[in-house]
Amino acid sequence: MNFIKKNLALKDLFKEFSNYQTWFFLARFDLKLKYRRAFLGPWWVVLGMGLSAGILCLLWSTIFNLYWRDYLTYLFSGFIIWMYISSIIIEAPSIFSANKHLITSTNATPVFYVLRKCSLSLLLFLHHLPLIFIVIILVNPEIDLRVIFTFPLAIFIVFINAVFVTLSFGFLGARFRDVEPTVQSLMAPMFLLTPVLWKPEMLGESINLIYFNPFTYFVGILRNDITGMEFDAYLWIGSFAITFANIIIFLFIYSSKKNRLIFWL
Amino acid sequence: MKSFIKLENINLEFPVYEDSNRSFRNTIASTGKNLRFSSTKKNASGKKIIQGLKNINLDINYGDRVAVLGPNGAGKSTLLKLIAGIYNTTDGNTSIQGTITSMLDMGFGFEEDATGYENIIIMNTVMGNSPKKAEEKIKNILDFSELGDFIHMPLRTYSSGMRARLAFATAIEGSPDILLIDEFLGTGDHNFMVKSKAKIIEIMRNASILLFASHAIHLVEDLCNKGIFMKNGEIIFYGSYDEAYKIYIEDINEERKE
Repeated sequence: MNFIKKNLALKDLFKEFSNYQTWFFLARFDLKLKYRRAFLGPWWVVLGMGLSAGILCLLWSTIFNLYWRDYLTYLFSGFIIWMYISSIIIEAPSIFSANKHLITSTNATPVFYVLRKCSLSLLLFLHHLPLIFIVIILVNPEIDLRVIFTFPLAIFIVFINAVFVTLSFGFLGARFRDVEPTVQSLMAPMFLLTPVLWKPEMLGESINLIYFNPFTYFVGILRNDITGMEFDAYLWIGSFAITFANIIIFLFIYSSKKNRLIFWL
Repeated sequence: MKSFIKLENINLEFPVYEDSNRSFRNTIASTGKNLRFSSTKKNASGKKIIQGLKNINLDINYGDRVAVLGPNGAGKSTLLKLIAGIYNTTDGNTSIQGTITSMLDMGFGFEEDATGYENIIIMNTVMGNSPKKAEEKIKNILDFSELGDFIHMPLRTYSSGMRARLAFATAIEGSPDILLIDEFLGTGDHNFMVKSKAKIIEIMRNASILLFASHAIHLVEDLCNKGIFMKNGEIIFYGSYDEAYKIYIEDINEERKE
């Protein structure tokens, strides 16, 4: 326990996680605000997402000459999951400059703003989940029961990684102004490199290349079980390893740079 | 335990980042080379800095109501932000005992699309209260702000005076041991100013320490019994309010002559 008290990063982390009602409350509030001025409220965003995923499915199943039923669940869920993960990465570098006013006038820790933001992203994703389940139930209802355990676990792992990646990228983005545009422009090619539009087996002999892409793991653990694909232990081992690496990077950056952050804004 | 603020040999340096220094690419490209800057000071590791606070020693005890005086850029806000825990020192020791309420930045993070009522809840939550506790406080805040039905309108419809009322009413609610105010008053109308002053006096009956940085001398005069005069990041004088005020005025007159 002494180590926790001494380490700046762990101290802030424990403080804010135990204070969960505040940031979770604010995230729910942000969600409400986001939908307030929208005509159809939450349904507009959900519909829009469903529409783009649907069009993509129609187009690419024709291009790849695939049986649409299989492909529909695969791409539909993959696309929505990708939008969730990529929005986390794209918004991460600007997290602290977006909260500049609060950071310079209250003494809430940087972890607080990140948890608020990441739980908002999670809530938005959960809003889109019913779409995925509707499509799966309509098209391809053979799902392994292990989903009951693996899916919540996958959501948890992705959330934890979102928090640590946002913190690390947030510090980088606050210090270096060109991180944000760089990250944004890299996410488009990453979409093409991650198995969302295409299936790994289409790569033939080069299938193992997908394991060099960190996004493969997180998209994989969220998508594969609910769409009834085969269980891939590598994906889980890989995501645990990346989580571990993310925590180490976070501890390193946060402990040494937390007190600097305010001067960068 | 009685509250106190004790600062010993505090230095606070602000790093200055130039455009080239803010680019990740340039930083990578120039690693290993010596970066050369045109002017200003550098610290031991060669980074460009501004000295925000210089060798500050300060002992503030129970019952002290301290005016922080000085020209713009003297380090008044920096000192208050340091005590509020927003800035961390470069070196030196701080020990502070007591709960702190700080009113330092008027515009703090209001949500434009949320109503006044919702903003009160948001701000209270950000300041570390649970949503439940925020709900409990809200009646007092509503009464004090006198915003009437406007409280249920989105914040973007508010005038600057109304924002000031909302910000002040939200920040002041509570019973802190230490109250930090930085130029917080001034935008509200006359009645609200009088009311705010009365509220601060009321709080000061229980709050043990006040630090008040302001150029509004008539307010400072009535509220404070001690004074700090700061210039260029240094505390030139700390003692009774009257003497601090005298030195402050002398300094203003000298500047004028030059």
